[in-house]
Amino acid sequence: MTNESFENGILELRRGVILLAVLSRLDQEQYGYSLIKRLAEAGLEIDQGTLYPLLRRLEGQGLLQSAWRVETDRPRRYYVLSDEGRTLLPRLKEEWIAIVSIMDKLL
Amino acid sequence: MNTNLIDNYVSEIGRRLPKKTRGDIEAEIRSILQDMLDERSQKAGKPVDEEMTLEVLKAYGAPEKVAATYQGERYLIGPRLYPIFMLVLRIVLVVVGVLAAISLGIALSHMLNPQNAVETVLTAIGNFIVSVMTALGNLVLVFAIIEWALFRAGAKVDFKGIPNEKEWDPRSLLNVSPSSLIKVGETIAEIVGACVAIIIFNFYPQILGFGIFSNGNWYVGAGTAVSTPLLSQAFFHFVPYLTVVWVLTILLDIGLLRMGQWNTMTRISFIGLKVINIGIAAAMLGAPTLLALTAASLTPALGSAESAHSLLTLLDLFVRIALWLTIFGSIVEIIRAISRLATKEVIPHFAGNR
Repeated sequence: MTNESFENGILELRRGVILLAVLSRLDQEQYGYSLIKRLAEAGLEIDQGTLYPLLRRLEGQGLLQSAWRVETDRPRRYYVLSDEGRTLLPRLKEEWIAIVSIMDKLL
Repeated sequence: MNTNLIDNYVSEIGRRLPKKTRGDIEAEIRSILQDMLDERSQKAGKPVDEEMTLEVLKAYGAPEKVAATYQGERYLIGPRLYPIFMLVLRIVLVVVGVLAAISLGIALSHMLNPQNAVETVLTAIGNFIVSVMTALGNLVLVFAIIEWALFRAGAKVDFKGIPNEKEWDPRSLLNVSPSSLIKVGETIAEIVGACVAIIIFNFYPQILGFGIFSNGNWYVGAGTAVSTPLLSQAFFHFVPYLTVVWVLTILLDIGLLRMGQWNTMTRISFIGLKVINIGIAAAMLGAPTLLALTAASLTPALGSAESAHSLLTLLDLFVRIALWLTIFGSIVEIIRAISRLATKEVIPHFAGNR
């Protein structure tokens, strides 16, 4: 039971940060698999089943834009921040820094 | 690379997705899978083989699960419709129950042989279960269609009658007085009554009648054994108007149940309905007799033409009194509603909100 609660707690925490993490890596265009790799290299493992649908949702919300392109040998879908996403990112960053400092004090 | 495995996997996901986005998502997943395979093949230092493909597909997840991640949460009847669905369901179940009880009563009262009682009751229970299932099925179907249409339209409609944060004013709490709160039980009873009336007068007008059994006993009631209708053609001319009033009453009551309290608009609608009620009752007073009974049809039961005539006069008087009471009652309710409208509390302002 405790383990389950821990897992759920972790999931809740991650749910909050994934959006910011994803936006932070998309100032330059990335295709899905390269993005998941970059995040994993930075230490954030995101489930594929979470990331790819999230990218589509963010595009639907106008924060990202995407295009199919053939580079190297086959077509890939590249995602990048839209103008709206670029405006939003620094504001979210500020909010994140404030949250971290509050949480530091609380913990 | 085992392209057959990948093709089948991708199309298994695709067939669970809406047509609009299917092709695009399929292509994207295919490209991601190929990236994953490339990476593994490089690491292993050998070309992609079936085992590698199986590993990648296993890691990517079952097609059902992957498709579900693209769909978001889907509901047959979602949280925004659920409260109103439950409300309508309760009302419908009570209506079905009341109608079943009425029809059981009719069936028992017209049963010539008491030995059939058990069979009659069992049949009634069976009919009741079928009616409940049918009503439930239709209701779910209607709500599921509404849910689907809202989902398709991407509508962000809130059916719970809950205003959003910007619209909500805490000062509205000051405006809640006990007299403006609605009485849930009475309102539901009114909806049930109106539904039963609509169904009986529009679809089963013949069940209200007067008849004589072969043993000479007579009754005023309902059922297939009825020989003479109780209500006249003149009465049934009013049924369309009455139906409109009943439907409007149901709509107003549902609105009231959702809002939980009276406001200016609902009070004005209520007054309007009462005015129409008065109009119909007045027209009924001016119309030819509403009863279809005649002295001739009553004579065999009562024994003499004289007593039949006096009973008829009495019944007619009862009808007139009932209509006058309706008019009088409506006038009282209109006055009460107007006085509540007029004495509506002035909303005090917060000190800091000038």
